[in-house]
Parts: sequence; structure tokens; C-alpha cells
Amino acid sequence: MVTHVVDETLFASTDPVTLRGSACADCGAHVFPAMASCPVCAGVDVTAVALPTEGTVWSWTTQHFAPKPPFRTDEFQPFSIGYIDLGPVIVEGWLVGRTTWQIGEPVRLVLAKAWTDAGIDVHTFGFESMAGGETP
Amino acid sequence: MSDDDIYIVGAGRTVFGRYDGEDNELAEQAVRSALADCGLSWKDVEFAVGGTNGETKPDNLVARLGLTGLPFVTVKNGCATGGVALMTARNGLLAERTDIACVVGYDNHARGAFNASPARYGIGDWYGATGMMVTTSYFALKIQRYLHEHGLGERTLGYAAEKAFEYAAAHPYAWRRKPVTVDEAMDADMINEPLTRFMFCSPDAGAVSLVLARGARAFDLCERPVRLASVALRGRRPGSFEVFSPWLSPGERTSPSIDAAAAAFASAGVSPSDVQVAQLQDTEAGAEIIHLAETGLVPHGAQEEAYRNGDLKVDGRLPINTDGGLLANGEPVGASGLRQVHEVVRQLQGRADGMQVPGDPRIGFTHVYGAPGISACTVLVSEGA
Repeated sequence: MVTHVVDETLFASTDPVTLRGSACADCGAHVFPAMASCPVCAGVDVTAVALPTEGTVWSWTTQHFAPKPPFRTDEFQPFSIGYIDLGPVIVEGWLVGRTTWQIGEPVRLVLAKAWTDAGIDVHTFGFESMAGGETP
Repeated sequence: MSDDDIYIVGAGRTVFGRYDGEDNELAEQAVRSALADCGLSWKDVEFAVGGTNGETKPDNLVARLGLTGLPFVTVKNGCATGGVALMTARNGLLAERTDIACVVGYDNHARGAFNASPARYGIGDWYGATGMMVTTSYFALKIQRYLHEHGLGERTLGYAAEKAFEYAAAHPYAWRRKPVTVDEAMDADMINEPLTRFMFCSPDAGAVSLVLARGARAFDLCERPVRLASVALRGRRPGSFEVFSPWLSPGERTSPSIDAAAAAFASAGVSPSDVQVAQLQDTEAGAEIIHLAETGLVPHGAQEEAYRNGDLKVDGRLPINTDGGLLANGEPVGASGLRQVHEVVRQLQGRADGMQVPGDPRIGFTHVYGAPGISACTVLVSEGA
């Protein structure tokens, strides 16, 4: 079955789900999404890499009002976003499953439904708690 | 005093808030007010710089002010527009060896949070479509992490809001002049944890203008000219945490504010501990807390105590954002940085529009910061009288 996603260039794979970043051969910096040059050292010798799929919540907030377009949703519900420390890079993404989080808690990468397009579910990436759905 | 010293000799601003007229009208009001402040006319201006984030062309203000043939430079650097405009005017006077420059910043924004386009920032459409192209969540994510790293309580945000509206209640040009208690700020509608409605500024309308003079000419025009001892502009380095960032570098945090403040202090030969009145970018309450430390005015982690002790109020050790800052003035992006300088100039001249800092302050500081990770800082020194 084909998985529809918001932007295919974000993913190294959708099954299992992994994010596609890039790594600099000169300074080792990792960035996401993948880029053709390195903003950290200004180098140009970079290659695409699959990023780690587990990390910890580095910061979080919950979006209590519906963003203006181009934000797209079937029906707005408050949702959490965070920065997730994956080790070589800190990635911004949805935090799914609840709306209160703690800095430092472990999370893992998942696909999350973003909206429905002509009856087809379109997914983005998110992170879910490795401890379960309850508010800590 | 040397021929290379640049002074602010005239300052004018409009009331900030909602404005139904044209952007250029606002700008003209501010320019005429600044010129009147030092007894000059538009014909005396030899170099002009204007900044706006909107669609109008600042350099076409000459259609209203007079077709004198002067060089008029337009700048557009987001939230740092005012600081960049001031720096450009200073550089113009020094390079051209002319005497009088006029700077103007203005904007008239639509209601509600800014609606930025991912493409303008070089980010894919997915970022906006999934609800991450939102300035309020960026600010929330940044202060959430900062409070955690430095052991500060969320109530620090309530103190910052209370202080802003206390100053604004006494300021005739501020927009939101109704006092708000710490509890009211904490209990207000949650926008993005940990920031409530009273902890954000809103885009609005306003204009500010300054007249600059070089060398001895300043003392002919103004009883108490304020010397622009330094102005420094810096961009981001790896490790900074900026708006609309799908990723961050792990490790040491840097900030263009740290770099710009350090450069401004070094160039002026002034230490942060010498500052007697200051203006910091407070797009929301958390930004003021972070910028107190990044500029060197208050150590990281000591902000909550500084607010609680009243250190940052008008009779405290270091009065901050004495016109109510962005929280109470809103943010007409092009005008905001010049509003800060306007307020500090009036404080250093002993003729503040709102609460006057007591004890004849002589050294002031201003700091603007914004997308995509730029900051401009000034050190201002009162001379004469």
C-alpha cells in the first residue's frame, strides 16, 4: 500500500518511517530536511542520511489556536509541537497523543495523519511518547 | 566631541495602535515631529533612510516632504529594520561628510499574528501546511527551553507583562495602557504554553523618526544632544535558535543578540553594568527575559529575582522598556527599533514622555532582534547640560 505524505523529500523511508537529513563530510553537522550544502561550516561535501528515530523532548508547546492558511487540517484540534533531540541534530515536529509534555522524556518517530485529500489520508511525521499516552 | 561623533538631536513618534489612514501619512507625521523637535525643516536634511516591512516605498516619502533631491536609502530588515536604518544613516553622514540625516521607520499591519510564507524563508510548503510556520509557537518553544535550562519559574513571564503595562499606563504614545496584574497575566487565555494572551505583542501601526547631526552642528541644534556612541548589527551563527527552524544544532547556544550587544558595548567603551536605562526586544514576555541575559544586563537565571525586587521598574537599579516595550506598544515592524531609541533619547534628555527615570541617567542601551536571526544594538550617551 502506498503511504501518502506531505512531502516525500522529508523521508528516507516511510516503512519503517525514517527522516532524511544530510550530513557534512567536513564538520559532521547534521541538518533536516536534507540540504545540498552545510550551513554550519559553509562546506559543500554533504550526503543524505537517515536520521535516528528515537530521541528526547528538547522543548514543547501546544498550539491552542488554528494557524492561518497555508495550515491545512480536516478539523482543528489543539496540537503539540516540539523540538526533539535526536543526538546529531534537534528536529522540530509534531508531538502526538497528548497536549502536555515534559522536557527530557523519550519519544519515537511515527507517521501521523495530517489531513484527508479526496478521501486519501495524507501523513506527516511526528513523535509519540515511549512511555504511553498518559500525561506524566 | 570630534567631527566623527554622531548625535541624535531630534526625535518624534506617533501614538502606536490601530490606524485607518495611509502608511505614508503616519511616516510623514513622525518626520515632521522629529524635525520640529530640533527646529529644522526637510530642506535642511542631507541624507535620509527609511524602513518599512509593508508595501509602500519609503524613498517616495519625498513626494510628501519635498523634492529636494537628497539621497534616500530604503532598508527592509524585519524586526531589526530600525537599528539598520539608524546604522545606515550614521554611516552615510560619516562617509559623505555631511551634517544632517533623517531616519524614519513605520508600518501599519493587519490584525492578528503575522502570516509568513514558507517559500520566502526557503522552507518547503509542508512546514506551513502542518502548522509549524507560526511565530507564537516559536517564541513558546524558545522560552519553554530557556526557563528549564536556567531554573526560572513561569511566573517570571507574569512579572514581565505586569511591568510593561505599568510603564505603558503612564505613557501617552503607548497603545495598551491598562494595567495588568501578575495573576491576571498568568491566568489569561493560553496561546502557546507557557505564554498567555497578555504575554504577546500584536502587530499594529506606528511611525518614529530621528534627526541625526554630525560633530559640532549637533550642539547648535539641541540643548542636550544624545551621542550615538555605537551601533552594531550581527547575524546568526551555528547554535542560534531562530524562528522557522525545522532543525537546530545541538550543543552550545549562540545568539545574534549576544554578538551585537558585545560589539556595541566594546565599540562604545561601555560595560553593561554602566547602563542606566535600556530597551530590549520583547516581542513576548519570554524574549525580554532571554534578552536581559543575552545583552549582559542581568545574569542568566537571575531574571526572576530582578523582576520580583523591582530592579527593572522606573525607580529600580536598571529600568527596562520604560515606554511599555513591544508588549504595550505593539509591533509596527519598521518603527519598533526606532521607538526604542526615541524612548531612551527622551530619558537621557530628562524629558521622558511617560515615567522619567530619576537621577539624571547618562548611559542608555537599545536592542532589537528578529527574523531570520539578526540583532542591532546601540549605546547612547547623554552630553551637555
